[in-house]
Amino acid sequence: MLAVQEIDVFIHASHILRRVSLEVREREVVCLVGRNGAGKTTTLRTIMGYHRPRGGGIRFNDVPLHERRTHEIARLGLGFAPEESGIFPDLTVAENIEISTWTRPGGRPAAERLAAAYEIFPVLKQYGARKGPEMSGGERKMLSIARALALDPDMLLLDEPFEGLSPAIVPTVAAGLNEITQRGHAILIAESNIYHVPDFATRLYVIERGEIIFAGRPDDVRKDAAALRAIGGHA
Amino acid sequence: MRTPVVLSLVGIAFLGLPVLAPAYYVTLMLPFMAYGVVLLGLNLLFGYTGLVSFGHALFIGIGAYTGAVLTTHLGVRHMELILPAAALAAAVVAAPVGALCVRYVKIYFGMLTLAFGMVFYTFLLKFYKLTGGDEGMRMLRPYLLGSEWPGFSKTAYLIGPYYYFSLAVLVLATLLMWRIVRSPFGLCLKTIRDNPLKAESLGVSVPRYRWYAFMISAVYAGAGGALLATPTGNVDPTLAYWTHSGNIVFMVLLGGFSSFFGPLLGAFAFIFLQDTVMSVFPYWRLIFGAVLAFIVIFAPGGLMGLFARGRRPVEVSRA
Repeated sequence: MLAVQEIDVFIHASHILRRVSLEVREREVVCLVGRNGAGKTTTLRTIMGYHRPRGGGIRFNDVPLHERRTHEIARLGLGFAPEESGIFPDLTVAENIEISTWTRPGGRPAAERLAAAYEIFPVLKQYGARKGPEMSGGERKMLSIARALALDPDMLLLDEPFEGLSPAIVPTVAAGLNEITQRGHAILIAESNIYHVPDFATRLYVIERGEIIFAGRPDDVRKDAAALRAIGGHA
Repeated sequence: MRTPVVLSLVGIAFLGLPVLAPAYYVTLMLPFMAYGVVLLGLNLLFGYTGLVSFGHALFIGIGAYTGAVLTTHLGVRHMELILPAAALAAAVVAAPVGALCVRYVKIYFGMLTLAFGMVFYTFLLKFYKLTGGDEGMRMLRPYLLGSEWPGFSKTAYLIGPYYYFSLAVLVLATLLMWRIVRSPFGLCLKTIRDNPLKAESLGVSVPRYRWYAFMISAVYAGAGGALLATPTGNVDPTLAYWTHSGNIVFMVLLGGFSSFFGPLLGAFAFIFLQDTVMSVFPYWRLIFGAVLAFIVIFAPGGLMGLFARGRRPVEVSRA
């Protein structure tokens, strides 16, 4: 479904990603784990077209993404929820979610897509007319994911969906993500905390200093000392 | 709840004004209504999309000169034809100008629009045969609803039929803009203003939507320009001069760009304030400079922000 092939990404003069390759197949939940500054966010932002890889390529359902602009990539069916949530403060919660149904019309009817998004995080329903700034960090994360979902994407890109959340709300978000995978969407999650990797994750990549140093099943990472050291987990 | 009440009171006041107020004040309302149309459009770009144009007088100029050329040279006297023609002429110019300008943001966008405005100003000034140079051209009294209103003196025409015609145009322009800002398109513009990068990742084509907003605001400025030309009876290049662009930005700030009706209030306040200050003190720009500084520092939400204080905080960006 999504294939990132040996991309090299520079931001100004810095070489941020070095020959990064990763793959997400249909219905998979793939986690990209690494420390802050390892290149997780840059990887996701390069997939979304914010950075142009200097080498290598990215294909999504056999369309080359690295030649497309960001809004075109979104309309191809990639739903992106960034780390800082990116809630539009002047729009109500309902409007924030509805945007995606206007920008990518076609496919399933808007009402059905909105219903599906609210079903994952029912708590958002009660906020309908409220505005973004009145929400807590966890609620913003949920809103950001729901909005990406209303795009009716084939695949979701989530940048640190659990970061800064209170422990009480982490299971709610995790359950929501699980529910999303049950419906057939693939998910790529960037995560800095190995303990936040949900148990329904099918595969795991570890990134360190812009390079992929581990690729495999989540259970196997515990046997890889170097990878484990990079993400600060205990054996 | 309060808004419909206020709006109906304002509506009644507008309808009754020509009967109740002295003719002089009624004639002051004519530029107010013309600027009102211009500012509704300008604020779609400024308040809703986050792009500050310092060259929007370009489109006022195009609208006004379209009216003058049509009435004096081409014998087209019906205002019902002049307004769409002015809007169309503005759109034709705005299409390429906008396509270039919206590729830039912030000060670069402002400077580029300023440059295009000055190009047009120079064109008006130098192509004497076509435009009348610095003397400009006459704008003949247009027909309204198919009639020349022959029994009316100039003033009677302006404070009677032309007043109500302008009012109708302003009301229509307001209703249309209300629909635009509340449509998905309008909300997408707000997302562009708040966070263009994020808007793009949701599938909003940022340059295209900015261009649409630019076109709509130019169409409004063109129509407003044509409306403005009649009371003066003459059009000249200062209509397109950059200080005129500055004035309309000032009106938006004065009224408050974060509110839908703010710019209308700003136009109203500007015109009556200018009239009052000019009559007692020759250096009115001095006073206006002080007012502008005061607004930016103490009342960034403009007059509308002062009225609405306590209801909704106005968020100010110092970045």
